Amino acid sequence: MLSDVKVVLASCRLQMKQSFSRSMFKFCILAYPILAAITFYLIYAGQNDQTLISYVFLGTAITSMWSSISFSSAGDIDRERFMGALEVIFCSPTRFRMIMFGKVIGNTLLGIASMFISFLMVTLLFQVPFTLTHPLLFIVSMFVGIISFIFIAMLLSGLLAISRNTRVLMNCIDYPVFILCGTVFPIEVLPEWVRPLSYLLSPTYVLELARMSINGITDIRLFYYHMLGLGIVTILYLLAYLKFYEIIDVKARKEATLEVI
Amino acid sequence: MGVIVVKNLRREYETSLGVVKRDKKIVHAVNDISFEVEKGEIFGLLGPNGAGKTSTIKILTTLLAPTSGEATVLGHKCFGEEKELRKKINFIFGSERSLYWRLSAYDNLSYFCDLYHVPEKMKKDRIEKLLEMVGLEDRAHYRVETFSKGMKQRLQIARGLVNDPEVLFLDEPTIGLDPMGAKTLRKIIKQLAEQGRTILLTTHYMLEADELCDRIAIINKGKLFALNTSEKLKDNMDSSMIEVDLHTLREDTVSRLKGIENITDVKVVTDDLGHRLKIECRNPRQIMSLVNEQLYDNKVKSINMREATLEDVYLKIIGGEQSA
Ligand SMILES: Nc1ncnc2c1ncn2[C@@H]1O[C@H](COP(=O)(O)OP(=O)(O)O)[C@@H](O)[C@H]1O
Ligand SMILES: [Mg+2]
Repeated sequence: MLSDVKVVLASCRLQMKQSFSRSMFKFCILAYPILAAITFYLIYAGQNDQTLISYVFLGTAITSMWSSISFSSAGDIDRERFMGALEVIFCSPTRFRMIMFGKVIGNTLLGIASMFISFLMVTLLFQVPFTLTHPLLFIVSMFVGIISFIFIAMLLSGLLAISRNTRVLMNCIDYPVFILCGTVFPIEVLPEWVRPLSYLLSPTYVLELARMSINGITDIRLFYYHMLGLGIVTILYLLAYLKFYEIIDVKARKEATLEVI
Repeated sequence: MGVIVVKNLRREYETSLGVVKRDKKIVHAVNDISFEVEKGEIFGLLGPNGAGKTSTIKILTTLLAPTSGEATVLGHKCFGEEKELRKKINFIFGSERSLYWRLSAYDNLSYFCDLYHVPEKMKKDRIEKLLEMVGLEDRAHYRVETFSKGMKQRLQIARGLVNDPEVLFLDEPTIGLDPMGAKTLRKIIKQLAEQGRTILLTTHYMLEADELCDRIAIINKGKLFALNTSEKLKDNMDSSMIEVDLHTLREDTVSRLKGIENITDVKVVTDDLGHRLKIECRNPRQIMSLVNEQLYDNKVKSINMREATLEDVYLKIIGGEQSA
């Protein structure tokens, strides 16, 4: 148990050190929030402060956090496979998912940093005051959201450990997620048949909850429903990820997918 | 029972040909191989590219599931009981991979120590010893990406030893190293075996296998063709040769030479300078005195002996067959 904690911490540290030495990553962490903030601001320029906060602040924050957590975690598997480190860590006595968990935590911390940068950017650049109607609910929503993102990242990393088509998968789920979850516009704009998909993705709920706590809650039940929804999808991710890592161990070795092609 | 036991081991890969996924082809990478390795032994798997060496090693290091057959290391099944096994073994793939290039040598080893649950108290000491052993102590805090190929490979060796493994697997450990680097590495491997570790390595360098391995298994296309000590493998070869230059040659010498056991053929080449006997045989050292006896009343100019090399053995077994 103690050694597992140590492995998680060590993997987390390793992940951050490594990520920081990659210029691409520095771009994602530092430049992306800045560029996104500018883009979102220009889209919503002239609207009232609440809209600005809801879309500019949150839009940038959630997209940069989401990219950092899920997509770097996914990319890491690919990178490790390419470096040949995937095999070495896989056959160590530490459970693979502990190592991945550490890495995902590392990405999460960086993602949170990225989110703060975007908050700071919007505040400083556009002088939009960041005001919240329900600060406590906002913090709770973000917290549960982050946990949910962590499990999604674990799920993705598992998926990628057993599939060699990592890149394809990564690229085809990046933007659709932003569209589906209502980062830039409310999901009510989407055709009805895609909405169930939106409600399978936790960013949808996180955004919804955060917006409610920013703009004020007219119906507290709606807030709870969304919180419940977020809880349910998060538990689904958790179950799927646990199941996944159970089969990864066998499947990766049966199908010889750990190494580079 | 051996430290490593492999019995009727098979591993197949399903590969799809071309773009159309439906054209499936089964590759028999390991096709019914059996062998055992004893404690403290250096055991070599020798074979051309595609022979199935890496697949065998990957099965033994719990990285790959066997399709059928048995593979156990230290009494643990390689597939199914890997939890216990992984603590006690380690492997080194002879390449620059399997390291975190953006981290320092020290940080790399430190991370792998954590993965192998090396107690914090022992960690620093062990890392320093390992770095010293592979001659990287003064590069400990440099990033791996600044290392030469040989240095990376040596760091890999250190990485493979972080958990003080009882059994060590090495897949072509000296590939791409310069002669000095390869020599240092062979020295380290010998030291490790002297400490009582069991070592299984693959190579396609004959001399290396000859120098290092207590026993050698020659495999090709997933099949085991020969398994013995280097000496015994050569003994069975009839490609050893004794060449004798003579001033004069008695008529019955050739037939009497042919009568000696282990001599398979005697050819005579005669020119204006004299005669040359080409005696093809097994175990030239052992029959040398018998050959000498039969030559007593010929006028001998010189005698040359060329023992079969492992390469002769290898080429005979692998034959003209091209590697995969
Ligand atoms: N992951 C894989 N998928 C499909 N075929 C493979 C895979 N790995 C190895 N092979 C095939 O299995 C055979 C044996 O390969 P390998 O064990 O790497 O041999 P060696 O290490 O002796 O060169 C080769 O024909 C190789 O192409
Ligand atoms: Mg190989």
